[in-house]
Amino acid sequence: MKYLNMLRKTFLFNYTVNKLFQPPYKINIRWGIILPVIFLMGISFITLKHTSADMSFFSSTFIKQFIWFGLGCMVFIAAQWLRIQFFHEYAYHLYGLLILLIGITYFMPAIGGSQRWLLLGPFSFQPSEIGKLFLVFAIARVLADQSGNMNEIKIIFIVLVIAAIPSLLVFKQPDFGTAIVYGFIVFPMLYWSGVRSFYLFSLLAPVISIISAFNLSIFSAWMGILIIIIYFSQPKIITGAVHFLVNIGCGVLSPFIWNNLLFHHQKERILTLLNPMRDPQGAGYQVIQSIIAVGSGGLWGKGVGEGTQTQLRYLPVRDTDFIISVIGEELGLLGITIILIAFFIMLYWITTYAGIISNRFSSLTLIGFASIIFIHLIVNFGMTVGLLPVTGLPAPFLSYGGSFLLSCMFILALSNNIINHHI
Amino acid sequence: MQKYRKLQIILAGFFAVLFMRFYYLQIYQHQEYEAKAGSNSVRKISLHAPRGIIYDRNGIPLVDNRQIYDLSVIPFDATDQYNYSILSNVTGLSTIELRSDIIRRKKSFHRFRPVTIKRHIDFETRSRLEENKLDLPGTIFSEFPARTYPNVARLTHVLGYLRIVKESLSSQTEKDLDYKLGDVFGFSGIEKMYENFLRGKDGTEFRLVDIYGIDHGIYPENPGTQSIPGNALQLSIDSKLQSLIEKLFVDKKGAVICMLPKSGEIAAYVSAPDYSLNSFAGPVPIDLWQDWNSDPEKPLLNRVIQGLYPPGSTFKLIGAALAFENNIVNKHWSVYCDGVYRLGDRDFRCWNTAGHGEVNMETALQQSCNIYFYHLMQKLSFDDWKEMAENFGFGSVTGVDLIGEKKGNIPGRSYLNEKYGRWGWATGNLLTFIIGQGDVLTTPIQIVQMMNIIATRGYTYSPHLVLNEPSKKVNLSLKSSTWDFLQKATWQVVNHKDGTGKIAKVAGAEVHGKTGTAQNPHGEDHSWFTGYLVQDGIPVLSAAVLVEHGGKGSVEAALISHEIFKYAQENFPF
Repeated sequence: MKYLNMLRKTFLFNYTVNKLFQPPYKINIRWGIILPVIFLMGISFITLKHTSADMSFFSSTFIKQFIWFGLGCMVFIAAQWLRIQFFHEYAYHLYGLLILLIGITYFMPAIGGSQRWLLLGPFSFQPSEIGKLFLVFAIARVLADQSGNMNEIKIIFIVLVIAAIPSLLVFKQPDFGTAIVYGFIVFPMLYWSGVRSFYLFSLLAPVISIISAFNLSIFSAWMGILIIIIYFSQPKIITGAVHFLVNIGCGVLSPFIWNNLLFHHQKERILTLLNPMRDPQGAGYQVIQSIIAVGSGGLWGKGVGEGTQTQLRYLPVRDTDFIISVIGEELGLLGITIILIAFFIMLYWITTYAGIISNRFSSLTLIGFASIIFIHLIVNFGMTVGLLPVTGLPAPFLSYGGSFLLSCMFILALSNNIINHHI
Repeated sequence: MQKYRKLQIILAGFFAVLFMRFYYLQIYQHQEYEAKAGSNSVRKISLHAPRGIIYDRNGIPLVDNRQIYDLSVIPFDATDQYNYSILSNVTGLSTIELRSDIIRRKKSFHRFRPVTIKRHIDFETRSRLEENKLDLPGTIFSEFPARTYPNVARLTHVLGYLRIVKESLSSQTEKDLDYKLGDVFGFSGIEKMYENFLRGKDGTEFRLVDIYGIDHGIYPENPGTQSIPGNALQLSIDSKLQSLIEKLFVDKKGAVICMLPKSGEIAAYVSAPDYSLNSFAGPVPIDLWQDWNSDPEKPLLNRVIQGLYPPGSTFKLIGAALAFENNIVNKHWSVYCDGVYRLGDRDFRCWNTAGHGEVNMETALQQSCNIYFYHLMQKLSFDDWKEMAENFGFGSVTGVDLIGEKKGNIPGRSYLNEKYGRWGWATGNLLTFIIGQGDVLTTPIQIVQMMNIIATRGYTYSPHLVLNEPSKKVNLSLKSSTWDFLQKATWQVVNHKDGTGKIAKVAGAEVHGKTGTAQNPHGEDHSWFTGYLVQDGIPVLSAAVLVEHGGKGSVEAALISHEIFKYAQENFPF
């Protein structure tokens, strides 16, 4: 007690506490954001209860997730005392810390073929998880600190570099899913900061050019659309021309590279990633079983605990990555629709608050948070129904997994905190 | 429009795409995926219908069903404590091989799927393994229907055996019976002949199975169908008589068939050597079958219906019947036998080289004198003789309910012209025919049928093995005096002091018979005896006995016939 009191009186302690915490201005629960979470967690618990029916009670994913959720609620409440300005002020420090921690993972032993974790005795910690938030802070700070007459291209470049460094680092771990999240959150935040849509379009256009280049008629149509968009965007002549030529170049080069520079097994890997059905016994197996599960669910579903695909274990990783397939099979299109609506309501309110808040940093942070939830949702749902490649991103609030749930809860907690702080 | 509204519209667009995809899968393509989910997890299990049991004429089972087992191990459940040496002792597979195989499979995706270690183990082996169940975690047995032969009577060539439907065979089996891979079907004997009758109808069961092959009980939506057992079959065989004859035939080669002349029922049926139906569990393995097939003793040959033998002197009855029927000679016409008959530049000899002296028809049959029949053949029409032989059923199948019966051969003019050329044969050939040699070939079942016709004075039935099965009437009308003579002559063969078949005599019983010796180029002569037993004026049992290489004088065959008739005398009606 004595030492604690001494500690209390030290400057460093006081300084840190005062920087990090402050009494909340008010504690409001923003139900537009929180109610959907409670609803989604409810569905998650019901599903996990039945997928883990054959495990012993205390080791079941159901109970574990329940404990994690309890922890998440405490984090949620505690986070209301956090001082948002801290994250603004120390955004670059946190970003540096993130790069450092991800760098350290390269010296850690691989688990399941990838080096994502920091191992501290019995505890393991995945820095890239909380890093999603740190990256949001860093980008928000870059964009918030710029005055009105900023050089857009320069800003875009800086933001891209900031996102690219951790993205490439986690990509090498390898953690493809997180790399996608890091890369993706850049776009909504740039858009929110007022960057011209045309620039964002310029960033995405070459990707479409590369993909469409494998079919001449699609490529021609895409070029037509490109010209029209360039024309109506009215850039300088030289910019428009460069733009057009770059896309033509991408289109011409990519089949050349594909045909001449890639080895057969590299092509196979890319093709299988894009279309898992090419390998029905291997990579495509999960997706095929998932689609069968979803499709066989129908409108009403087979009933909780009644899904044959799920309960007879035809569905792989049904607790985590493919929990949406379980819900699709057992609760049907009705369950899926309600879940989509819940997510939409949550994201609707976060973006609405972001639109109302005038503080640029806070507003951008909210958009970044919404982007994190959104990209997880799209990638996970898309993979479940065979629209997107299998990347191993879990579904927020639905999939089993403690640290991811904590991250999501923390995101919502900070969102709630930010909204209370400004409105 | 405000920026966040635009963002929300884009959001809504993404959600709409997702929703449409779910709608497409769950509503538009629902039925297709529902079917796929069903075929994923619902397994159709075939419930084996037991084959019909085969009984003898007294209801004693000859063929019954038993379960044999396929031994499998679920790799996942086989722990480190697994005692591979027990498994090795029982199955004969090496311990090291078993262990490495199981351990390799433990790591594979299919570690929950049973691996078949040995097929078709019997109940005793299973019991031995079950005693050590705790040392053999993960060992399971799946049942497989097989035949068992509870009776001492082997009856090998009648009963036949089963085979398993393989891909290569499925085209041969009848389509309408709907065989599946792995089913068994009758491949020979009664099992084949009455396949449709013996075979039951397999039931089906639908069970829920998870991805590891673990059973989760019956699929509630479809209860499946019950299996319908095959029909029981009662044979006319008397298993006691059958086993008696089989014992007499140990270490001998040949054939025996016993019948009830009045009904055409077959009471005993032996073809030796045979093969053991009990020597394998389940269907016949191909390699064992090939061993039998290449055995010079020809155990697979069904000698009763497929063995072609010269009938020897038993065939003299045909010549005698013709001579009396057409009034060619009378009882008193006689011939002097000095042991040799000269035709052109060839000598035809009697079996008794000392000669029989003066013989008429009666004594010629009784002592089986060849010289008499050489003379007689000169007086007979060759065509009439052939016709009479065919009237007695020779040269065509008897119609017994077994597959693969041979017709034998009764040579006629066209046959001889073809074989020897128009001018290449002469009366000399015919002399050998009337004593049942040369080109005359018969099966034992034809010989016994001849006896049946004589015993019943021309009113009998085609031979059959299944009791109460309607069979074809056989009707031969000859003059009463001809029948009288044939019956009397055959009685004398057995009962006269000079009769060649007196070994077959049974004290206090009326036994008729005829001996025969069939020359063959491969060694000792074959020994024939065929005859019948009469009780209270009714012929009750006929028999034909052929002992391959039994030697001259029909001793071997007559001895066996003696035992058969003695048994019949004591035990009839069976």
